[in-house]
Amino acid sequence: MARYIFVRLLDSIPTIFLVFTLVFIALRILPGDPAIAVLGDYARPESIARFREQFGLNDPLWLQFLKFLKDMVTLNFGNSFTKGVPVMDLIKYNLPYTIELTIVAMLIGIAGGIPLGVWAAINRNKAPDVGFRTFSLIGYAIPDFYLGALLLIIFALNLGLFPITGAGSGFAERMHHIVLPATTLALLKIAFIGRLARTSLLEVLGKDFVRTARAKGAREPRVIYRHGLRNALMPLSTGLGLSVLSTLSGSVAVELVFNRPGLGRLLIDAISERDYPVIQAGIIIFASIVVVVNLLMEVVYALIDPRIRVK
Amino acid sequence: MRISRRTLLQTGTASVAGTLLMPGIIRAQSSSDVIRLGVAAGGPRSIDPNQTTQGADNWATEQMFEQLVRPRDGLFAASDDEFVPTLATSWEASSDGLTWVFQIREGVQFHKGFGEMTAEDVVHSFNRARFDGVNTAVFGNIQNVEATGQYEVTFTLRGPDPLFLGSTIFQNGASIVSKRAEEEKGSDFNRDSIGTGPYELVTFDTSSGSRLTRHEDYWDGAANVRDIEVVYMADTTARTLALIAGELDIIEAVRAPGWIDQVMQRDSSLLVDMTNPGSFMTLHINLTQAPFDDPLVRKAIATAIDTDAVANALNPMGFPTISLSPPHYPTGFSREQLPEDLRYDYNPDRARELLSEAGHPNGIRFSANVSQREDYRSTMLIVQELMRPAGIDMELNVMDHSAYHGANREDQNSLALHAASYPPVPLDYMMRYLSSGAAVKADGTGGGNYSHYGVAMPGVDDKLEQMQLATSFDEYVSVGREIELQVQEDLPVYGVMTLGFTAVRSSRVDLGYEVNGGYARWRFHRATKS
Repeated sequence: MARYIFVRLLDSIPTIFLVFTLVFIALRILPGDPAIAVLGDYARPESIARFREQFGLNDPLWLQFLKFLKDMVTLNFGNSFTKGVPVMDLIKYNLPYTIELTIVAMLIGIAGGIPLGVWAAINRNKAPDVGFRTFSLIGYAIPDFYLGALLLIIFALNLGLFPITGAGSGFAERMHHIVLPATTLALLKIAFIGRLARTSLLEVLGKDFVRTARAKGAREPRVIYRHGLRNALMPLSTGLGLSVLSTLSGSVAVELVFNRPGLGRLLIDAISERDYPVIQAGIIIFASIVVVVNLLMEVVYALIDPRIRVK
Repeated sequence: MRISRRTLLQTGTASVAGTLLMPGIIRAQSSSDVIRLGVAAGGPRSIDPNQTTQGADNWATEQMFEQLVRPRDGLFAASDDEFVPTLATSWEASSDGLTWVFQIREGVQFHKGFGEMTAEDVVHSFNRARFDGVNTAVFGNIQNVEATGQYEVTFTLRGPDPLFLGSTIFQNGASIVSKRAEEEKGSDFNRDSIGTGPYELVTFDTSSGSRLTRHEDYWDGAANVRDIEVVYMADTTARTLALIAGELDIIEAVRAPGWIDQVMQRDSSLLVDMTNPGSFMTLHINLTQAPFDDPLVRKAIATAIDTDAVANALNPMGFPTISLSPPHYPTGFSREQLPEDLRYDYNPDRARELLSEAGHPNGIRFSANVSQREDYRSTMLIVQELMRPAGIDMELNVMDHSAYHGANREDQNSLALHAASYPPVPLDYMMRYLSSGAAVKADGTGGGNYSHYGVAMPGVDDKLEQMQLATSFDEYVSVGREIELQVQEDLPVYGVMTLGFTAVRSSRVDLGYEVNGGYARWRFHRATKS
């Protein structure tokens, strides 16, 4: 197993390098001068020239790229152009909020999606199934930022049950603050995971071994949970991995709407301010999380299905 | 006792719901000891007034720092005699206008026990602004500044400046800071600055905002409200909802049509504070691009824009302008004061005639870039619609705000809208917008003169130099008004309106004065909260 993980890690190196290169190129072809973004649109030419010199923006691109690669490999993300503090400090502060939001949203998504999917599958084409399919359609259709604003207006502004902004401090307050943003993200998760659970379970329930189990007289709950759901886990685990990644990307809009700290909000602010060091570090952290989640998914496959390990 | 699975589930659900909902139910409006202010930005960049490059950061620095002189609260000073003594008690200029001597207020204490302010601190503050600030050019006219006594500072200027107090002394970068504190804190001074203002810094968090508390030894009497919290909220929906819900006491407004009406419909007790003028919304016409090199085409554009309609659409924040400067600025003109042919009253038929005379009987068609920011986009969309009946078809390319200014600085625009807030120091914005030295360049090394005036149409530099050399306020204004008239004739820049900087406030907060003008931030030293 260790060798398997090692090989997969080696496989991810070209991916990470490609991400480094794309990030660097994208930032340099993005219109907008970081000096103007930082110093203001009526900055004087001499201030702009000094800024560009100070941050090495006048160096040839190849030299900037080499410096960038060296800094990324040594995890030296430098200082933020706009805030003047080490980028690593900004990441350390914001990343836990994004992880916390992702975990809670995923937990709600799994806790809601799997039971609803199973319920829909065992009531195929009946009212619960139709109801769930309608719900999942709505879940797919509503954009995160719109749903977030809607929940804010109903539950925070009109009912006063939840705070509108911030992330809180202390466990109880943080959980109180996270309910609406996590629910916003979780609605899509419930729709996605639920549909996947429903489809996978229906597929498995049509297999010969399920018919055999029923023919042997096994009780229906045992057929569904022991024989059906367990075998539906493989496609479901793929879906959960993808869901983690989409939750991470969805957190960008949700952090903005709920004014929560987090990596997404940090990145959006940095992009509008052309804060290269923060954008570079933020995207690379996101990309690394994607690589790690993919790796974990493959490890989970290998654990669930030994045939993959052998291959 | 045997607990069934159902009972356990019900109890658990009730407990979780209780935990989650309890704080919401007991949530109260913010305490009367703190004013919570929501600003439209992602996070603070610096708390050092000599290093701030983001307008929102100045809300905190405004409470923490002071200059030698200030205008009255809620106003700009249109001339030097409208400034009031602050950290200086009096000042005197030599007859040639080249030497200014300031008497420094005695007994002013810096925050956090950094001692009494002296002339050395004043000299230090000006020297760092001249040589190491983000706006060093503003201090370019100072040849020397020295302590000529423990409480006396003397400035020697390179040239006379009848508006020296407004152009140089009352600048953010000229805020007086503690020399000892800066020497001790080194690079940390950017995040833990020490001034003399009514509030001192408690925390500075680049992700969430700043928290200030009352400076008990403030020379002009301690503030009424104990704490100020500056919360950074770029998202306009969240900021608006937080104000309505009472989580914030004041927010920076969204300068888009209809926003104030929507907020007031939701809560009619809210109060609106607004500066007039706020941002100058000016259209810069690129004189190097056809057909804008033809003065008839530029006059057609000016005649096709109903500036009253543009200002009304942004009501109550929009104020019409008739020339480059607002009417109540030293060199500004009211409609009645301008010659009739330079008023460019709205007349689409006349605009069509002008285009025909210029050889465009079927009108003109061109594209222009515009920023996606609400104030820019909505203004240009209105201008676009107003010009259409006159046969002027402008296609708008909406761009990200940074990209827009980047493209402008590389001379990639035809009709560039620019929004900027300026104090009543006309030479400042005239130099930026009109002088040949500030002309935009394709390689991005030029300035903010997007029209190329002074290069494509020479002549203005001589007048600007006369203004720089003026020894009296009257002479300065007289030359400035000549420039205004020439600009109105040549039309490299056309003032569309000024857009008041606006904040919406809970009725629980009383600022202690009325906001009528001034920079885009106001002080809370006299504020009370019920």
